[in-house]
Amino acid sequence: MTETGHAQEFSRGELMTAVAARALRDGERVLAGTGIPQVAATLAKYAYVPNLVILVENGYAGAIPVHPFVGTSDNRALYRSTIFTTFLDMNGMVLHRGKVDTGFLTGMEVDMYGNLNLTVIPSYEAPKVRPSGGGGANDIASLSDRILVIMRHERRKFPAKVSHLTCPGYIDGPDGRKKVGLRGKGPEFVFSNLAVLGFDEESKRMNLISLHPGVTLDEVKANTQFELILPERIPTTEPPSVEEQRLIREVIDTSGYYTGWKEPKIVWWGKE
Amino acid sequence: MGVKETKSKLMTLPDAANLIKDGEYLALGGFSITRCVVGFVHELIRQGKRNLVVSEDIGGLDLDLLVGAGCVRKLIASGGSLDSFGPIKRTMDAFLKKKIEWEEYSNLGVEFKYLAGALGLPYIPIKSLLGSDLVKYLPPDACRETTCPFTGEKLLLIRALNPDWGIVHVQRSDPMGNAQIDGPRWDNIELTRASKRVIITAEEIVDRAFIERQPELTAVPDYLVEAVVHLPFGAYPTNCYKYYDCDFPHFQHYVEINQTEEGFKKYLEENVLGVKSFDEYLDKWIDIDKLKKLKTHPILGY
Repeated sequence: MTETGHAQEFSRGELMTAVAARALRDGERVLAGTGIPQVAATLAKYAYVPNLVILVENGYAGAIPVHPFVGTSDNRALYRSTIFTTFLDMNGMVLHRGKVDTGFLTGMEVDMYGNLNLTVIPSYEAPKVRPSGGGGANDIASLSDRILVIMRHERRKFPAKVSHLTCPGYIDGPDGRKKVGLRGKGPEFVFSNLAVLGFDEESKRMNLISLHPGVTLDEVKANTQFELILPERIPTTEPPSVEEQRLIREVIDTSGYYTGWKEPKIVWWGKE
Repeated sequence: MGVKETKSKLMTLPDAANLIKDGEYLALGGFSITRCVVGFVHELIRQGKRNLVVSEDIGGLDLDLLVGAGCVRKLIASGGSLDSFGPIKRTMDAFLKKKIEWEEYSNLGVEFKYLAGALGLPYIPIKSLLGSDLVKYLPPDACRETTCPFTGEKLLLIRALNPDWGIVHVQRSDPMGNAQIDGPRWDNIELTRASKRVIITAEEIVDRAFIERQPELTAVPDYLVEAVVHLPFGAYPTNCYKYYDCDFPHFQHYVEINQTEEGFKKYLEENVLGVKSFDEYLDKWIDIDKLKKLKTHPILGY
């Protein structure tokens, strides 16, 4: 039936997705956006937490997609939804109400307090780089009970302080969120393609939890502009299992577009 | 016996687009790559509209075309993209080059502004945006931080939005404007109630009797609607749930050519300015092979 054991070879994207998926808990409500968050949430539901509730800000829930999707606005992603509703319902009455347990975000920059920048680099006044913009990210970061972050681990993406604070993490310290009037506990993990990171209980500064197989501490330090709090002994992240990889490669991300397990080519994704 | 409602609001696309005057404020009912008001926006561009204020909670292809064509003076949005196909580059570029003013909120920020507008309230409190840099760059009269007079908790008050026009593309409408939407409806409900006047573009026009069978499916009621346009493929190349899929090659082409301003101008010329009607544009892209791919599977909906 299902094979057990770890995958023999895997891309860092696959590992990042699998590790992120493992952080989701059965029965919880997660709000995931386009990209790896959506893929990871779907993987989690199909692999081991069948009662995971995946909410999508567009206004649907309960989807069981069977074809790879271009994003949350692709109708492939909403196949077999049990409700079609509005932003007001999904983001207002569920997220704003405080019923979303986990918000799943990605972005341009993450800093040592888990704040995210999805808006502009280097500054709003003199902008040079402008990606899609926050969208629902600020709402998710402000209002979910906890936040998970997916981020490619590159030096320019891990500054000490974000150029523009789109999504509040801990802002500037342990009572940063409370001071500005935010509910929710804040970011819990950062899943990068090099490591799994978290936040120190007391200072709320980013710490290292585990290194991915084959990644050195020096590599992580070279790609982080601030000092990470290190554990006594640094464990190695558990690689993706055979089943996790099968689900990624054969069901959810068949083109490799999100997890990079092969060179992606967007062809017209089918209905077969 | 009974009342005969005969007020048909059906009109042609050019006539409906002509209702919009330069400088007016439009709310677009699209989202990224789904049910965008592409056909309507094409006509606005062809008619040379200028200085529009536009809001779209999460910008999509319709917004990018309008901004790229130079029709927009100010934008109210939380961001936007073409999902994994790529960015709405013209919009982001216009921001970088300071060609447009962008009042930037989060998704719920714009949604709550529509809600306040829809309820006829001057403002509404919200618990997101607090502590973020987004608030720093909003105009001074757009929001205010305060504490709740009952509980003492921190609140951000944001002003209501009441667009002059709300434009939504729907699957079905009757000639009076009772419009049904299949699939998720993101901000379309609040947007249409907040707007002073609403224009509906519809895949199909149905009889009032069809609406009467299941009035709970009515997303926009006729008494809010000013004009109805029968516009099959009106969201093309974005998808329209249960009617047609996204056109993947079209999006790949758009993202590719849109990397430069010259490329976008070429796209605009070929698809909007250089054609006399929306049908002429559709004819360029949709042959029988394409139609077979766009056609939705009855159960899958795509």
